[in-house]
Amino acid sequence: MRQLSRRAALALGASGAAATFIGLPDSVSAAAKEAADQIAKFTGGKTAEKSKVSIELPEIAENGNTVPLSVSVDAPMVGDNYVSEILVVADGNPNPGVATFRFSPLSGKAEASTRIRLAATQNIIAVAKTSKGELFTNQKLVKVTIGGCGG
Amino acid sequence: MRLGGILAIGTAAVLLVAGAFVIAGGSGAGAQGNKKEAPLDTNGDASARPWKRYAGWPARDESKWNTLAQVASPSAPKAPRKLAGPITGDAAKGAELVADRNRGGSCLACHVMGPAGGANLPGNVGPDLSQIGSAGREDEYLFNYIYDPRVYNPETVMPPWGGHGVFNDQEISDMVAFLKTLKSPAAFKTELDDPEKRPAPVEKRENLDPIENPGMWAVDKAQDLWKQAGAAGKSCQSCHSDAKAEFKTWAASMPRWEPRLNKVLGVEEFVTRHARATTGANWLMETDDNRAMSVYLHFLANGTPIQIDTTSAESKAAIERGKELSNRKLGELNFACTDCHGKSANHWIRGQWLGEPKGQYDHFPTWRTSLLAIWDIRQRFQWCQVNIRADELPPDAKEYGDLELYLAAQNDGQKLSVPGIRH
Amino acid sequence: MAEKPRLKLPKEAKKGEVIEIKTLLPHVMESGQRKDKDGKAIPRKIINKFVCEFNGKPVFTADIEPAVAANPYMQFHARVEESGTFKFTWTDDDGTVTTAEESITVS
Repeated sequence: MRQLSRRAALALGASGAAATFIGLPDSVSAAAKEAADQIAKFTGGKTAEKSKVSIELPEIAENGNTVPLSVSVDAPMVGDNYVSEILVVADGNPNPGVATFRFSPLSGKAEASTRIRLAATQNIIAVAKTSKGELFTNQKLVKVTIGGCGG
Repeated sequence: MRLGGILAIGTAAVLLVAGAFVIAGGSGAGAQGNKKEAPLDTNGDASARPWKRYAGWPARDESKWNTLAQVASPSAPKAPRKLAGPITGDAAKGAELVADRNRGGSCLACHVMGPAGGANLPGNVGPDLSQIGSAGREDEYLFNYIYDPRVYNPETVMPPWGGHGVFNDQEISDMVAFLKTLKSPAAFKTELDDPEKRPAPVEKRENLDPIENPGMWAVDKAQDLWKQAGAAGKSCQSCHSDAKAEFKTWAASMPRWEPRLNKVLGVEEFVTRHARATTGANWLMETDDNRAMSVYLHFLANGTPIQIDTTSAESKAAIERGKELSNRKLGELNFACTDCHGKSANHWIRGQWLGEPKGQYDHFPTWRTSLLAIWDIRQRFQWCQVNIRADELPPDAKEYGDLELYLAAQNDGQKLSVPGIRH
Repeated sequence: MAEKPRLKLPKEAKKGEVIEIKTLLPHVMESGQRKDKDGKAIPRKIINKFVCEFNGKPVFTADIEPAVAANPYMQFHARVEESGTFKFTWTDDDGTVTTAEESITVS
């Protein structure tokens, strides 16, 4: 990425801090950079407003293999005014991409749920785009638990 | 069958429940004698021999330690080791060692230890050691407490890290050097990292919804198997045309003492031996077909309170043996079942909650989201042992039968809800 | 992949109602990150796209990455104005396409 958008830079900063705290290797910040790249590509380098997007995740995931995730946007879904896409990235996975959900006015609600894989404790970032080109975002830290017995 | 469900207490219900199966079994060909017992192939083993550990499990040879079938571990030392002088250790190395998850899950599994491991989800089975460096403990005491804490506390659940050779003297000295640096209360990044404030997990998933729980797919699979003829040309269906009615409570009466085998018989081994004796199918324990049949037979009895025979002399003796086995220290880490699921129950072992025995049986076989597989209770027993560095037994081992019966007895009255869904 | 797709949606709805739809396709979703016993990377093989249409019109699409868990699950909504048929399509990396249909009566 040549020029970091403010939002992307923010996301990067936040996740960089998280990585430091949990003492993960440098590859994590590489993943965070790639996450920021993907977001910038999605937004066309524009800044997404931190509002309207909700991310539901367990506070502590019991394992990283099947983590329930729900994203929604509090915005109209009618006629030519609807949420068209939500990009979801995980900034600590080997590949940060998770999914892009695409909606239409027929969707009724800008909401999607799935189950995801998380390599470790990290941020989930969602960015939504409306049919009018508005951009909204949010992020949430999810802790992936650590087993007791080790290897 | 209905009566079995209504009568909540007493052996009458148990006998009736068991009897329902017996009569059903006898309605086909081959009813045996007056008792009409369900036919069982009593020859041979019900699981693979030689038993081979699962490929993805640690391949360590733990044959020199106690298992449920052998007593082999060295006995506890009587006195602490005398040290020549003060400890010289490398505190930085010690800080790494206490967080090393390759050797028994790390000290953080049980202790809060100040900044060690980033204070990331430590457990609280043992005391918070964040200020142990100001506690006025002698080096020799700290060294011996790690080396083999039984010299100070024979009842401890803590492994003899040095005595069993998990860490050498130098490594333990490094850990002691690190402990001596711990002089400030633990600081947690989030409340979730503090095991005293971390909320206990609550299982809320709809485990009987096939879109939530892939374990439910086994119910479909088993219904196909039910109609599939075995080598003897018969299927389950040949004798059990109305599975839903016939098995409405049966699984809740299992496991039970089986005189023909002289051991406790669980649903999974029953499936193997009964199918061999009737349809000719050879559904060995811990194979997909066996797991599917076990899920289905439990599923049919869902909602029925667990009610095993705890009154016959044979059952009582088996439960007593199971209780003794649950107190036996096993493996290199020297844990008894009751260390984690009794003495330390309702605590965190690192980020995992240690449950009490009650509630650890009614959902088996269960789907494991971390492994994308169905596990029956015997596989769960095996995994626990391999994890604490003990050799597991074959799933049809009589010791597992005793242990399963003891566990079921502690779950008396819990309603079956199978397949469960757990991490 | 002998296992069939799992669908959960109402059979009937009122005109203009927003209904919830749950879908799941049994699939390992091999991420490409795992290694086999000999240390060789197991090649990626995932469902990379999921599409839901109603009477031929797009309702919901997901472009899926390996971070989506095995047995990809999708839960979303649809506003129904007329009776008709939902068509669900899953596309595998290897080109295999799995489809399922479910109709709904709208009154």
